[in-house]
Amino acid sequence: MKFRNASQLLKGEQSQILDIDYSHPSARRIIEVGFTPGEEIIVVGKSAFNDPIAYSVRGTVIAIRKSEASCIQVR
Amino acid sequence: MFLVSLVGPPNSGKTTLFNLLSGQKVKTVNYPGATIEYYHSKIDKKFGFDVELIDTPGIISLIPASIDEIITIDGIYSHPEYGTPDLIITTVDASQLSRHLVLVNDLIEANFNVVVAITMNDILARKNFEIDFSKLSNELSIPVIKIDTLKENGIDNLVKIIKDYSEKNKNQKEIKRINEDTLALVEKYNKISEIEKKVMISKNSGIINLLNDFKNLHKPDDISLKIDAILLSKTWGLLFFFFAMSVTFASVFWVAAPIMDLIDYGFAYISEWITTLFGINWLTQLLANGLVAGFGSVAVFVPQILILFLILGLLEDSGYLARGAMLVDKPLSKLGLNGRSFAPMVSGFACAVPAIMAARTIPNRRERLLTIFILPLLSCSARIPVYLLLIGFLVPTTGSLTAGIILASIYLLSIVSSLVAAGIINKFKNSIIPNQDHSSFILELPTYKKPKFNNVFFNAFTSTKSYIIGAGPIILIFSIVLWALTFFPAGIDNSISNENGNFEQQLIENSYASNIGKFLEPAVSPLGVDWRVGVAIITSFAAREVFVSSMALMFQVNISDEDSIQKSLLKNMQKAKKSDGTKVFTTSSIIGLIVFFIIAMQCVSTLAITKKETGSWRMPILQFVIYTISAYILAVSSVNLIKFLGIA
Ligand SMILES: Nc1nc2c(ncn2[C@@H]2O[C@H](COP(=O)(O)OP(=O)(O)O)[C@@H](O)[C@H]2O)c(=O)[nH]1
Repeated sequence: MKFRNASQLLKGEQSQILDIDYSHPSARRIIEVGFTPGEEIIVVGKSAFNDPIAYSVRGTVIAIRKSEASCIQVR
Repeated sequence: MFLVSLVGPPNSGKTTLFNLLSGQKVKTVNYPGATIEYYHSKIDKKFGFDVELIDTPGIISLIPASIDEIITIDGIYSHPEYGTPDLIITTVDASQLSRHLVLVNDLIEANFNVVVAITMNDILARKNFEIDFSKLSNELSIPVIKIDTLKENGIDNLVKIIKDYSEKNKNQKEIKRINEDTLALVEKYNKISEIEKKVMISKNSGIINLLNDFKNLHKPDDISLKIDAILLSKTWGLLFFFFAMSVTFASVFWVAAPIMDLIDYGFAYISEWITTLFGINWLTQLLANGLVAGFGSVAVFVPQILILFLILGLLEDSGYLARGAMLVDKPLSKLGLNGRSFAPMVSGFACAVPAIMAARTIPNRRERLLTIFILPLLSCSARIPVYLLLIGFLVPTTGSLTAGIILASIYLLSIVSSLVAAGIINKFKNSIIPNQDHSSFILELPTYKKPKFNNVFFNAFTSTKSYIIGAGPIILIFSIVLWALTFFPAGIDNSISNENGNFEQQLIENSYASNIGKFLEPAVSPLGVDWRVGVAIITSFAAREVFVSSMALMFQVNISDEDSIQKSLLKNMQKAKKSDGTKVFTTSSIIGLIVFFIIAMQCVSTLAITKKETGSWRMPILQFVIYTISAYILAVSSVNLIKFLGIA
């Protein structure tokens, strides 16, 4: 099975973070706000232009750009 | 004195706690990263001892990702005025324990004396959880206090700990900067997640090992999710966005306009009262036309500024501002801006100065500089008196629909011009503003809340006050200088007499201002106006609204008139003739002036803050040259185009 990244999840879809691409320049901040391997995330909304995307993670909602979500590998 | 700093992630209840400890009422912001200033205060007297408290802007970790975070974190380590804190109280949202403990961990690692204050326990309780505080305290090896900020429970325990610390005066370990790679960060997070699992007590089963319970713990606010399903959607989300923005600008105008009229009338009355009571001499002239008129031009835009800050506060406090930023991120990023440019841009409609400061929250340097660059184009409230005067000339009946439409078009034009400017500068890629780091948009969407009106009012009031203190003196000084230029040397020349009724006419004709103005006449005549308007334009470079009081001086508003300053000024403008006998103010020359004011960079305070925020004169000089030259060219073109179309 090919792994997807978080930007490919559909609205309302739930998944688990497998890994983060640490070489991505936003990786550090993305982890700091709560996206760590093993966490469950849900796509709770997409902006009117489909980008940025809002994820529920660790009890809060964080909006990040598609390009940044692509460094989050999900199941 | 013993210094206690409050440090915490955005929206962790830090400011609320600060207010409880200090007995004050300061800003509580819901929009992450919007607070830049530090609030400081002594601890409330009722606690019976003396320590200094400072509140710091919300941060996520001790490793900065933007300029405002660098400033904030430096300020936590060593505040320029108050020094290094002897004790740090860090607020942690109980329902976000794992996320918020990251900062706590950093603070402990940096060797600060740390006390954790756990807030939002009511929210956690609603999810059927509670925290085992003594266990958490053991895990972290520092004191952990449960705080209920709404019922003010737990404050006494916290105060007792502060008091103990301040009396103990135990020797402080050496504070160090922390640095870690991302892998270490993930490990730290895993450790924290383990702690969270250990200390969370589920009210259902007693122990947190049921997977379902834990899912419930990490589920965001239901109501906010439902609202966001609408407000972030394609059609309704965008519709609401435009609706909210329109209401904002409409209410700034419709609510503020009558109040402004009243202020204008009041100052005219005072001027008149001074001259009728004490007669016409240089002192009463200075008072009436210099000082009172100067105060008037400061006071007249206070209503819109206050109203705009109020609305901005409501947007912020309700949680919508972050959604707005998310909605516009995509289109703005196409122009080289960022979703985080949104809040500064909305503030820009009140005043460019706080807006430029708010741009600090944009992590990418290029996007931040570009945002700062375009902010002066947004129609700040200092332009409103100018537009009202000019529109008042075009459409004599005040408050009519036509006047409203013209004003709305001016606002639209200002938004369009700012976006076009961003697009053009962005095309030049690296030559004007070099690109140094990657673009990013990571923003927490706080839960929707009913705004706390007290806070919002207090906040808007403080912003307006600091604005008046900041810009007021410049405007006042320029008003007086301007008055002196129009009064001297003729005013003290006894050969000009008061008797034959055209005293003021002669005064202006023989003043320094007239010399300067006539010298500049060739530059302003392509705009279709004469040297008097030239003088008014020159003075408006101090601050735009000075234009109105300059016009009143240049066109000798008769202070014994019954009307407000604006009404009698409009009358005189209708009558004003150039030296060749043609009218100074026509549809084309008025529209030319409006175009000029939309674009020209006429504000000393804005240039000064741009220099300060960007660290060099390059940016303000570019703003000044580019905008002022474009404004002139566009204004002259509009005048000629309108004339060409056969309109006067
Ligand atoms: N339910 C609940 N809300 C709180 C509590 N403490 C603060 N708040 C609210 O949470 C929001 C954010 O608080 P604030 O003090 O501004 O957080 P800051 O951003 O960390 O300064 C405000 O609307 C507060 O009224 C609490 O214990 N329970």
